[in-house]
Amino acid sequence: MHVDVWHEVGERNVGRAGLLLIGLIVLLAIFAPVLTPYSPRENTSTQAFSRPSADHWLGTNDARQDIWTQLLYGARTSLSVGFGVALLSGFISVLVGGTAAIFGGLYDRFWMRIVDATIAIPDVVVIILVAAYLRPNVLLMILLLSALSWPGGARVIRAQTLTLKERMHVSAARTFGAGWSHLLFRHIVPDLAPVLVAIMIQDARRAVFMEAGLSFLGISDPSVMSWGKMMQYARVFTYLEVWKWWLLPTGLALSSTLIGLSFTGYALESALDPRLRDRDDHAEGGV
Amino acid sequence: MEDQYGRPLEGPKVGWDIPKATVRAWALLRRAAFFTNYVVAFLLILTLNFVLPRLMPGDPFQAIYGQEALLAMTPQLKAQLIERLSLDQSMGQQFVAYILALVQGDLGYSYYYNQQVLTVILDFLPWTLLLMGTALVLSTLAGLVLGIESGYRRGRSLDKALLASLMFLNGFPDFFMGIVLLLFFGVVFGVVPLSGALTPYSGLEGLALVRDILHHLLAPLAALVLVRVTSPYLLTRNTMITTLRENFVMTARSKGCTEGQIKYRHAGRNSLLPVVTSTGLMVPQMITGALFVEIVFTYPGVGWLLYNSLLTRDYPLIQGILLMVTLAVLLANLLVDLLYLKIDPRVSDAR
Repeated sequence: MHVDVWHEVGERNVGRAGLLLIGLIVLLAIFAPVLTPYSPRENTSTQAFSRPSADHWLGTNDARQDIWTQLLYGARTSLSVGFGVALLSGFISVLVGGTAAIFGGLYDRFWMRIVDATIAIPDVVVIILVAAYLRPNVLLMILLLSALSWPGGARVIRAQTLTLKERMHVSAARTFGAGWSHLLFRHIVPDLAPVLVAIMIQDARRAVFMEAGLSFLGISDPSVMSWGKMMQYARVFTYLEVWKWWLLPTGLALSSTLIGLSFTGYALESALDPRLRDRDDHAEGGV
Repeated sequence: MEDQYGRPLEGPKVGWDIPKATVRAWALLRRAAFFTNYVVAFLLILTLNFVLPRLMPGDPFQAIYGQEALLAMTPQLKAQLIERLSLDQSMGQQFVAYILALVQGDLGYSYYYNQQVLTVILDFLPWTLLLMGTALVLSTLAGLVLGIESGYRRGRSLDKALLASLMFLNGFPDFFMGIVLLLFFGVVFGVVPLSGALTPYSGLEGLALVRDILHHLLAPLAALVLVRVTSPYLLTRNTMITTLRENFVMTARSKGCTEGQIKYRHAGRNSLLPVVTSTGLMVPQMITGALFVEIVFTYPGVGWLLYNSLLTRDYPLIQGILLMVTLAVLLANLLVDLLYLKIDPRVSDAR
C-alpha cells in the first residue's frame, strides 16, 4: 500500500502543531531585525531591570539590554546550530549507513563496530572536555555535535538500505553498471527521504537542546547571543522579580522549539510505522 | 541465529562433519565480539583523554594540569610530575605511562581540591547515584504503568490527554524544568529547599536525617522524572497497541480474564523487554539530565563537580570524571545486554 507520509503529517494534530511552532520560530528568527529597533548587545538608555513596556516588550536586563531583542537573536543561534547539525549529521549517516549496506563484508563490519562504540559514549561530557581545551564557536559546536550524533542515524539508514537494495529498480541500475554513489543518491536516498527527515529532525532536536545546555554551562561562542547563555545570566537574579520576563520567556522559547521539533518528528514517525497507523487512526482523526 | 542487525550470522554450517569443539569455539568468538564494542568505546575515550591536552600548542604540562595549578608549583614538584607522566619521552612511552597509572587507579591529582582525583570523585558520587538511581527507577515504573493504561484505552480521552501532556513535558530541557520547579516551589511557595542535598550542620540523625535528605531530593528528582518519563511511556504505549491485536489476548479475553489481568499479566508483560532495553540506553541521557539538574539545584553530585572543575579549569578532574562516566555508561549497557539474555528466551535459545 502506498502511503503519502508527508500528507499524513500535515493531517495529524500533533504534526500540524509541531510544524506551526517551528514555522513561527523560524519567521521570528529571520525577521529579527524588523521586529526590534535594538541590537542584542546595545546598552539602551532605559534603566536596568525595567519592567516590560511598549518600548521594551520584555523589559531590560542588568546591562540595560533589551531582552526581547536578545530572545529573537538567540533563536537564530539555536536554529542555525540545529539546522547545521541536522544537515551534516544526516549526510554522514547516509554516507556511512548507505555504503555499509551496499558494500557489506568487512567494510560493513568495521563501520558498525565504530557505530556501536560511538553510541555508547556519553556525548555531553566529551563535548565539555573538548570545549575546555578548544575555544568553542558555532562552527566547532556544529562539527562536534554532528560527530557525536551521526551513528544513530547510520544504523537506521543501513537497515533500510539493506531492504531497498533488493528492490527491482536498484538491481536494474546495478546490472547497468551504476556506481555506488549513483545507486545511493539516485535510487536509495529518494526512497529513504521520510526516514531520513525523521532522523534529521531528531538530530536537530538534540543539537538545539545540547547547544542551549552547553551555553547554560558557559560553553558558548562569546560573540553570539544564545538562549542558554541568557538563562545562565538570568539565573543569578532569581531573588528579583525579573525572572518573570527574563528567565521564563527564554526557557519557554527554547521549550517551544524543542516541542515543535519533537511533535513533528513524532507525527512523521507514527506515519512511517505501519504498526501504529491503521484504519481506526483515520476514523478518529489521529492523535 | 541472527546478529544484532537481524542478518544471519555466517559461520560454519552445523552439519555432520563439524566437531563440537569448533562450534563451541565459534560461540565463544561471537560472545567476544559482543564485548568488543565496549572495549573500543573505552579506548576511544582513553585516546581522547590522552591526545587532547598533548595536541594543544605550548607547554603540554600546562595543558595537562591547567594554568592555575602551575602557580602553586615548585621546580622539584614539576620535575617529579614530568617524570611520572614521562613527558620528556616519546609519545608511545607517554601513553604506556598513562595506561599504567590508570590501571593502578591513579587518575591524577586535583590541585583545586588538593586530593587524588579518584578520591574527590568518590566523595561526590553517592549523591549522583541516589538522584539518578531513583529517577531511573521512578520514571521507568511510571512510564510502564501510564503506557499500559494509555495504550489499552487508545484513542479515548485519557489516552489523548496523557499523550499530549507527556509529549509536552518532554519538550522541556531538564535544566529549565529544574529552574521552573525551583522558582515556583522554592522561591514563590517556599516548600522545598533552594540548594544542597541536606541541611548543613543540622546534626540530624536517623529518621530525621532521611527525611531531610528526601526533602532536598524531591525537587531535583521531580524535574528529572517529569522530563524523562515520556520515552518509556511512548515505548510501552506502542508495544501495548501492537500486542493487544495478538491472538493470545483474544484467547485471554474469551476465557474470561479480567481487564486488569489482560492489561498487566498478558499484554503489559510484553512491554517489559523493550522498556528494559531503553532504560539501559537512557543511562547516558540520564547522566546528562542529572548533570544539569544538579547544577541548577547546587546538588553536590558529580555533575556539579564537573561544572565546578570547568569553572576552576581543573583539567585532571574533568578528565577523571569523563573516564568514570564513560565507564559507568558502558557498565550499564553491558548489564542491560546481560539482563536481556535472561529476560528474552529467544536470545539465549540460540546458544
